[in-house]
Amino acid sequence: MANPQTDPELHPLADIDQIVHAPARLMVLTYLYVVESADYVFLMRLTGLTWGNLSTHLRKLEEAGYIAIKKEFKGKKPHSVISLTRQGRTAFRNYKKSLQQVLDDLPD
Amino acid sequence: MAQQISLKEAERRAFRATYNDGLWDILLGCVFLMFAIGPFLSPNLGDFWSSVVFLPFWGLVFLGIWLVRKYVVRPRVGAVKLGPARKARLMRFRVVMLSVNVIALLLGAVAAMRFGRIPGRMTTIIFGLILLIGFSIAAYFLDFSRLYLYGLLAGLSPPMGEWLYVSGFASHHGFPITFGTTAGIMILAGLTIFVRLVRKNPLPIEGIPSEEA
Repeated sequence: MANPQTDPELHPLADIDQIVHAPARLMVLTYLYVVESADYVFLMRLTGLTWGNLSTHLRKLEEAGYIAIKKEFKGKKPHSVISLTRQGRTAFRNYKKSLQQVLDDLPD
Repeated sequence: MAQQISLKEAERRAFRATYNDGLWDILLGCVFLMFAIGPFLSPNLGDFWSSVVFLPFWGLVFLGIWLVRKYVVRPRVGAVKLGPARKARLMRFRVVMLSVNVIALLLGAVAAMRFGRIPGRMTTIIFGLILLIGFSIAAYFLDFSRLYLYGLLAGLSPPMGEWLYVSGFASHHGFPITFGTTAGIMILAGLTIFVRLVRKNPLPIEGIPSEEA
């Protein structure tokens, strides 16, 4: 099997951000890319992820600096608002570009 | 999870997820109820007061919708701040709607001054066209295709009512029948969408994790 690290034709694949590439995280990032911010329930509903699953993916994205989670209180209840950071926005754009390049270069 | 990624579709879905709760349909239906019930009141109250009398009713409906949105819909659907693309689209929508309303008002004023009283049938056709155009603009900008249907129903209500009245099938310009049907369809559609939303989206289970529940 060709190794993307060594095969020059597959080299753009090696540039693909693995943090963004995971389907669940890609879905979360896609929604966050098109809105200003959203809360947990909204993301859970739109992505179809369970609460635990979503939390895990959000933690990974936060650790990578791609999202910011702002914790606040609504009355007595805690409420988290998630938004894409500038770094996350750039990472998503780069991912889109890399993937497009890989797909465009593939023979029909 | 196996969904196609399309930024346009994602944005549209995010917007619809927030506003497609049926509550706007119910509010619109209640507004059109005024046109259905108002004609019964105008002989006693006059045209002005037979409309004004509905303000407290709308206020109550609006308050009810606000409370339902806050305590029933929001915990199930979540909260989102729309992105710049949608905000710009909504701004364009407001500007276009305002322009249409101002033009309609000016045309109405000019016609009334020039011709005095406009014949009933013509008035109902113009009124219907304004409703149809307004709803179509809303359907286009807000991505809610059922608004085209509402526009058609609302647009047909005045001339159809007038036709029923002239033909001797209905009283009060036929508005109680035509606008009543339009309002009923809107309210029924809204209730169906709302009930479906509540059933499809139960409250998040508390404790897993406890932070957001």
